[in-house]
Amino acid sequence: MFDGSDDVLDWAGRELRRPVATDPACKARIMECVRAEAPHRRRAGMRRRPGARTGWASPLVQLGLAAGIAGLIAMSALRPLTPSRAIGGTALGPTVLGDSVVNTLRDTLRFVRFMFVDPAASRVALVGDFNDWGARATPLVPAESTGVWSVAVALAPGRHRYAFVVDDTQWVADPSAFPLPHQHGARRTSVVTVTANPD
Amino acid sequence: MTDAAVVRRVLDGDVGAFAILVERYYDRYARYAVHMVGSREEAEDALQDAFLRAYRSLARYEERERFGAWLFRIVMNQCRTVAAKRRRDETRAAEWVQETSEAHPAEHHALREELDRALARLTSEQREAVLLKYTEDFSYEEMAVITGTGVSALKMRVKRACERLRELLMEVYCV
Repeated sequence: MFDGSDDVLDWAGRELRRPVATDPACKARIMECVRAEAPHRRRAGMRRRPGARTGWASPLVQLGLAAGIAGLIAMSALRPLTPSRAIGGTALGPTVLGDSVVNTLRDTLRFVRFMFVDPAASRVALVGDFNDWGARATPLVPAESTGVWSVAVALAPGRHRYAFVVDDTQWVADPSAFPLPHQHGARRTSVVTVTANPD
Repeated sequence: MTDAAVVRRVLDGDVGAFAILVERYYDRYARYAVHMVGSREEAEDALQDAFLRAYRSLARYEERERFGAWLFRIVMNQCRTVAAKRRRDETRAAEWVQETSEAHPAEHHALREELDRALARLTSEQREAVLLKYTEDFSYEEMAVITGTGVSALKMRVKRACERLRELLMEVYCV
């Protein structure tokens, strides 16, 4: 393939300099986020420069604050479900529920409901990069005798990887969501993208 | 319009002008981010966060520094964070699974994929150094400012990274 080691590095350099394909929507998304922050500053009654943002808490803190009101929002936004039975369970895809009415959280967190159908399961948990992949951190709650499991989670805008763990042993990616490829022997995960302003 | 002029416009309240900077730098830094974190989706996340951080920090940008280098430093830090987080995630996810062998990549992409594999086998610092030098064409002096590492240490890092890269690629493809 190559005649000598310099050829190898020359070729590698040329390959690495090639442009990479990116999603054209990414640039628009950045500007959407930037514009979402700008009115926030104007509402404060004075023109501030970008670096002067206040009231920002880390996502973990926000998650903790939001947890207390997640249940109310989830209950008000639940939609009827037609449960289905599938071997190994069926994930129904994450659903963004709506903004919190709490001002301090409004611009930074969205509530996402994750649903999974498996009448035979004894336990279903949500694992993801938002809960440090802890199988005990976010258990799904079953609806009575329907086999539908669900949980609402407060997530910061951005892309989050997740999967379900059934009966503490079975790892299931969400077939209704965008899958990530296998990586270094890890099982498939799915991705949910939470936008700052979904409307 | 120069970068510094665009920055002044944004700071004066013309938020839309920030799109000029996004358009000017996104694609170039996407190349670095993809090679550095190894996944397009995560690279896009890193870039989005980096541009947002840049926007929030714009008032701290000083015009005596080249804007591209200032922005690149933010991109690089974000890529480091994503790469570190990804390593943690993979370690945790691996606890759940048994290793499974994967099929070899399609032949027509094999050569390029071997390069990606070789790049992934460099240390994070080596990969960063090689990309800064040969993909982004930064001088050693610029690299020193961006990374906070001395020029001679960077030269040694690039040299070792190239040797390792050559070794890995020759293993697979040299006749």
